[in-house]
Amino acid sequence: MTGLVQFFAIPFGLGMIVIGAGLGIGRLAAAAADGIARQPNAADKITGAVNLPLFLLEGVAILAEVFALLVLFLGR
Amino acid sequence: MWVQEIAHQVEHAAPETHGEAFDAGKTIIEHISNAKEHPLIHLPTLFGIDFSITKHVFMLWFVAAIVFVVVTWTVRRYLKQDRLLASGFMNALEAVVEFIRDQIAAPNVGRKWTSTWTPLILTLFIFILCANAIGLIPIFDLLGLLDHWVLHTGEHSFVKRLIHGGTTATANFNVTAALATITFGSIIVAGSKAHGFIKHWKNLVPHGMAWPIYILLIPIEIMGMFVRPFALTMRLAANMTGGHIAILAILSFVFLFTEMFHQALAGIAVGLVVSVPLAVGISALEILVVLIQAYVFTLLSAVFIGMAIHVHH
Repeated sequence: MTGLVQFFAIPFGLGMIVIGAGLGIGRLAAAAADGIARQPNAADKITGAVNLPLFLLEGVAILAEVFALLVLFLGR
Repeated sequence: MWVQEIAHQVEHAAPETHGEAFDAGKTIIEHISNAKEHPLIHLPTLFGIDFSITKHVFMLWFVAAIVFVVVTWTVRRYLKQDRLLASGFMNALEAVVEFIRDQIAAPNVGRKWTSTWTPLILTLFIFILCANAIGLIPIFDLLGLLDHWVLHTGEHSFVKRLIHGGTTATANFNVTAALATITFGSIIVAGSKAHGFIKHWKNLVPHGMAWPIYILLIPIEIMGMFVRPFALTMRLAANMTGGHIAILAILSFVFLFTEMFHQALAGIAVGLVVSVPLAVGISALEILVVLIQAYVFTLLSAVFIGMAIHVHH
């Protein structure tokens, strides 16, 4: 059981976290690049608006990773 | 940490002993953890809390002392001049102060409260930045190398105890939890100062809704109040720990390959071709992360304080 958690469940969960966070960051960056391409003089405003959700997204991903690793270490 | 490890490994690998195998996980954990088994100054446990001065506590004080001395000295010297012209390090400090005030504090907490909250945000930023950055400088690894070849101190000397454990104080969850608690407290203080103590708690939920919604909304908002500092804690500590783990894991290839082929040459080749270039790349990334995480922590603190001041639902 521990082996199953250690070598399957946790890596699977970590992979899912990476997929989710990657999709989120990718969409954000794509939208920001699109916006800047349409309105180059609004680049500063767009970057500022993108920053905060980016950090919140990163925070969620890191929280999930910490919890996944916590499950691994507590399950030992 | 790795320089010292190489010295250690070379010494042990030379006679081709069949002693303990190289455990990458254990070595990495030892180099990023607090080294509770090797406290610098042993103090008794009171109320179930170990008061011993460990490596991270030492680093915390070291960083605080450096920040205090350098910033106070620079500003004092600047103020002593006849004409207030910033020069040298004061220029850099002024740029940082202006950036924090105009880019982080002012847009988030509003013009009226900028001067109230800029000092706190600025202190958080400079402290976190210095603590993160000092963790990247291998001071104690050079000390370990010096000890190994020059000083030859005893097994339980102060220098030997100083070598154990990680250098980055902000990679410890307890440190970041304390920093996030300051943010948590200042959110409540900011709300209370702007709206009054009772009104601040009322502002947590939007008013003028049907009552069944409040049954759902009040627990969510109370949970959100605690989740925000918790996320701040985890983000900073996990980012700082993660980078160090990545560097150490890549560098441990050297020892893993040495062990796999029973030849030091294999390890050195892998180190030269793979480990060192990759570690240099990740170190460069770490310099970015150091800056970004200090920025993120302060920006989010400012945003949360601003949310308590400008309530809009």
